[in-house]
Amino acid sequence: MFHIPTPLNALIKTAAWTALSLLATSTSVYANCDNTDIKPGLKQQFSTSWGIEYSGERFQSSAKTSINANNASTLSLKWAYGLSTNRPRSYPLVTEDTIFIGDGGNGLVALDKETGCVRWENTSIKDISTSIVSEQVDGRTVLVFSGRLSGVHAVDASTGDKIWTSAPKVHPVPMFSGSPLAYKDTVFVPISSMEIGLSANPFYGCCTTSGGMAALDIRTGELLWYRPTVEEAGSVVTGTHFLFVEKRGPSGAPVWGSPMLDTKRDLLFYGSGQNYSLPASLTSDAIFAVHIKTGEIAWVEQFTAGDTFNMACTTSVDHPNCPSTMGPDVDFGAPPLLTQMPSGEDILIAGQKSGQVYGINPDNGKTVWSTRFGRGGPLGGVHWGIAANPELGLAFIPISDVPAFPSDLPPAPGLYAVDVKDGSLRWSVEREAACEERSCWAGLSAAITAGPNIVVAGAMDGMLEIYRADDGEKLWSYNTKKEYDAVNALPTKGGTLDAHGAMLAGDLLIVSSGYGSFQQQEGNALLVFGTTEEQAQ
Amino acid sequence: MKDSTMLAGRGRRFFATIIDVIVTPIVGVAIMLVTGILESAEAYASTEQTVARVLLLAISSYFVVHGWLLFSRSQSLGKSLLRIMIVDNSSGEPASFWKLILLRLWALPLIYLLAIPMAAIIPILDQAFIFGKSRRCLHDYLCSTKVVKRP
Repeated sequence: MFHIPTPLNALIKTAAWTALSLLATSTSVYANCDNTDIKPGLKQQFSTSWGIEYSGERFQSSAKTSINANNASTLSLKWAYGLSTNRPRSYPLVTEDTIFIGDGGNGLVALDKETGCVRWENTSIKDISTSIVSEQVDGRTVLVFSGRLSGVHAVDASTGDKIWTSAPKVHPVPMFSGSPLAYKDTVFVPISSMEIGLSANPFYGCCTTSGGMAALDIRTGELLWYRPTVEEAGSVVTGTHFLFVEKRGPSGAPVWGSPMLDTKRDLLFYGSGQNYSLPASLTSDAIFAVHIKTGEIAWVEQFTAGDTFNMACTTSVDHPNCPSTMGPDVDFGAPPLLTQMPSGEDILIAGQKSGQVYGINPDNGKTVWSTRFGRGGPLGGVHWGIAANPELGLAFIPISDVPAFPSDLPPAPGLYAVDVKDGSLRWSVEREAACEERSCWAGLSAAITAGPNIVVAGAMDGMLEIYRADDGEKLWSYNTKKEYDAVNALPTKGGTLDAHGAMLAGDLLIVSSGYGSFQQQEGNALLVFGTTEEQAQ
Repeated sequence: MKDSTMLAGRGRRFFATIIDVIVTPIVGVAIMLVTGILESAEAYASTEQTVARVLLLAISSYFVVHGWLLFSRSQSLGKSLLRIMIVDNSSGEPASFWKLILLRLWALPLIYLLAIPMAAIIPILDQAFIFGKSRRCLHDYLCSTKVVKRP
């Protein structure tokens, strides 16, 4: 019998599946809510941003979720929804009866929490790449989120109608890939830059822009303040190539992770990425603390100096735009979290792509403890998000260690629990991949989520797992990498679990499976799980 | 001049086109480097901004390479090197500049752009016409021109 070689076979399958998906998407197959009130309930919201709560702990207490260590093993799939993107990166906002989520080319959709039918959709914004956050404004609930290139958007949660769109031109080529955070009258918006990719063009003079944090008026979208991470970006000409193309710096230090908010100190904390070009600044791979009213810096602390990297380096280290002292590319993408030590004192915990985790004094930025897990790399180490359980005094660290740059260190993908007071290891789980393809890796790149004595972790091999928080015992697992009969009848399959990770909301566990970036396994499955007891009711 | 034996050979036309296809982008790159038109972040501030700059670069490159030759001798650089020229199909006289620029240069590319789903096949179709008896490409028919040996 004729046998197609495995890679070719996979390629053909992928192409056929993608074509089928696109065809189905173009015909707009929806499951509209015929017998349901299309107005979403808005009395209860289960999260505020990528860090779930302002504290960034990514912790849902028993007041916010009924899923715990006692019933986690009874979780089963309730329904699946086929998203219109193979690289979903929208963290949903869940209310008592609705899931708001970015649905690729379909825009923003409001899905009925029980059935997945569509209450309303706003198809005008097709590049949603962040969490959906909300705030009460003049008596109505406003949803805020960002489109990767289209800017920041505010819509009415009841109807999906647009309120405003704002793309602050803080520099010529901003990218809005980090999740915003809404607090009272202000929306805080992380700013990255397209220069990370433009640099791959050898005729481009890399680089002149800076990452930063913008604050917008939640009523109008007007810019209130902007805090660049690099002062006087692009002010130094560091050389020329092809006779005329000027290399410039310093640049970069993008902010692409969600910020977290300390309402006690009125400080916003967030991490920055690497510099795009030389000279390196003192603010790349750093944690920033800024005052929420003015954007003034309270403190900034750098954890890796001299890290310069851009996409030119992925084509060749001899690329004229690749910095001569190419750095390890070890940004802070995971939001820092603020939690309490048993003494009652606050501690800020930040995880870096290097695999290094830091306990930091939130008042002055000084390192209290640091510890390292795995070997780290451009895709983590710690990639998208750590979590903490304040009831147990533990922080949970997911390690990706996906192969990217050559390294002499062995990878150690898995989940690590540390004592928040000193960073000492309490337990760890080293993972092995559930499949063997090149795109299948055991690592935990996605942000993890903590709940009542549980930790929910999504792996790059497609496995969704729940561990007991106090000892690391695996309580439940589910292989999301398969095909589904979706409620909206789109061809739907799972793949790599990455980026925003899982959401615990009320009696549901929600995750999107598939992440077709960085040669990982694409997929478009939004999966909603419930416990047996919940489904019996 | 109206004698069909004066028609340029397909081989010469092919190599003339190859020369033009190679030289024009090289000059375009040189112009891009000197002017810095696509070198800075401002060039990519919006899709419209980028498209406008690329179009400007393409037009200026074409005129720098071929403008004077087309105006004075009805030839592109490649055609000049291979001693062939563009003439009006009916009169046999050198084709007018406006026809060479507006129709020959822009009509077909515009059709390509408007017919985006079929864009890949149009240039092939255009060139396939050269194998007809009168050795005229589709763009020759659209512009009432033909390519002949230079006397």
